[in-house]
Amino acid sequence: MIRFLTIMSSRWTRLVLVMLVVLSLQTTLFTELRPFGVAAQLVLLFVVVSGSINGVAIGALTGLIAGLMYDFILPTPVGLTSLTLGLAGATAGLLLYFFDQPTWWMRLVTVVIVSVLGEIYYPLAQTVVGLDGWLQLRMIKVAIVVAIFNAILSPLALLICRWTLAERKLSV
Amino acid sequence: MAVAQSTRRRAIILLVLTSIILVTLDLQNSSATSGLRNIFGAIFRPVESTTRVITRPISNAWYGIFNYNDVLDENDRLREKVAQQQGATVAAAASVRLAQELLALNGLPTLAGINAVTAQVIGESPTNFSQTIEINQGSESGIRVGMPVLNAAGLVGKVTKVYGDRSVVMLITDPDFALSIKVVNSPRQTTTTTIAKSNAAVPSPVVPVEPDATQDSEISTTTTTTTTTTIAGFTPSVTTLPATPAGVSSITVPLASDLAIRETGVIEGRGPSRQPTVRFISNAVRFGDIQVGVPIVTAGGSRSLAPPDILVGTVSRVVERLGSAGPVLEIEPVADLTNLSFLRVLLYQPITEKVTP
Repeated sequence: MIRFLTIMSSRWTRLVLVMLVVLSLQTTLFTELRPFGVAAQLVLLFVVVSGSINGVAIGALTGLIAGLMYDFILPTPVGLTSLTLGLAGATAGLLLYFFDQPTWWMRLVTVVIVSVLGEIYYPLAQTVVGLDGWLQLRMIKVAIVVAIFNAILSPLALLICRWTLAERKLSV
Repeated sequence: MAVAQSTRRRAIILLVLTSIILVTLDLQNSSATSGLRNIFGAIFRPVESTTRVITRPISNAWYGIFNYNDVLDENDRLREKVAQQQGATVAAAASVRLAQELLALNGLPTLAGINAVTAQVIGESPTNFSQTIEINQGSESGIRVGMPVLNAAGLVGKVTKVYGDRSVVMLITDPDFALSIKVVNSPRQTTTTTIAKSNAAVPSPVVPVEPDATQDSEISTTTTTTTTTTIAGFTPSVTTLPATPAGVSSITVPLASDLAIRETGVIEGRGPSRQPTVRFISNAVRFGDIQVGVPIVTAGGSRSLAPPDILVGTVSRVVERLGSAGPVLEIEPVADLTNLSFLRVLLYQPITEKVTP
């Protein structure tokens, strides 16, 4: 029983539950609202912010788990988003590798840069597995719009990520 | 601390390997990944439906703020278009019926003989690197992978994934989309004036028929003006104006070269910001120059996933290539892919795909 409660109260269980909500927002609200014809990427934002707070390993794990869940609702091959978001999370985690106590603007710059990179990783991965045709100039516009959106929403994402990935001791 | 780091490292390696294996399996169309998608879908759909209901007012407010003026303009444009189309619809319906009767008489397949399922679009792709939509009909309605999807204007895409009560449709703009098509090229515009003598050898295509013809009749002159009007996609009409003498009628047979010529190729999507292209068009002289505006229809055939003669789009640009390589055509799809609501899935499977009991 205690083991079950430990699993249920772990941050990874919380991550899966929060990701279900984030994914549902991604597939409903943020798919319909397309400023400049581009869909904002909430899942990528969540992964990048978690990487910038918790470092490379947690960022990569969050990206791999969130990406795997995202993969199950996308028509592209399962596992592709998992790998690209895992890479994006790890890239964002490099911030803590270089700066022990990053300031708010460092985090913001990280979110913007890694959001751009994350949107480039994906079509690159598609090309690697043979899904050609997505490496176009439009990619730059997509990456810029996604980065701007992620920068705007990053304060809110920061709060949610902190709550979700906080380690708590189970007291029985 | 070291134990936690080691556990994390192992978890990362495990997840990366799992992802690589899943990518490999999915690219091989394994049923295991479809099963996983179905299981996840069963958990995720209720959450998604609830979120859709909650966020509906936000999206409505967004559309109200940013799209209100566009919608008003579009309404005005559409009213004008409806007025223009009302007259043409009656004539078009009659032409379609005639064409279907002719096809049926000759034992050729028509779209009218193919069952269809009407479906509503319930979602778009949440990513920026996939051109797909989701519809609310699936295998329970008889839909199978590969079936063509249309709206009132023409071809929209094809079904790529089927679940019990929903399906995923790949749009014709997706870079993975490919389908064999026909280009219906119009003949060149010609205006011919023929002056023929009734007792002389009459050049084709004008054959004068005199009701009271006599061998030793007086020499008379017939002036015939043949005007070929060029309307994309239609066999040109031929107008014959008989001149003096009165009572001489003419039967005009259009030249074979004046009929619409069809050439096959493959249409391929290129993403949302670029128009699809048609490649592998032959560079044959017989086919002539392809004109902007000529229609593109599906080719059909035993291996094609779509039946013949579904309208796909019109040629918007012809890119000539050097040597014997045929031109590349840029296509303007007739269906407005940015504003899809109700669609029709043709329950069509080519003979080669049909499973025999």
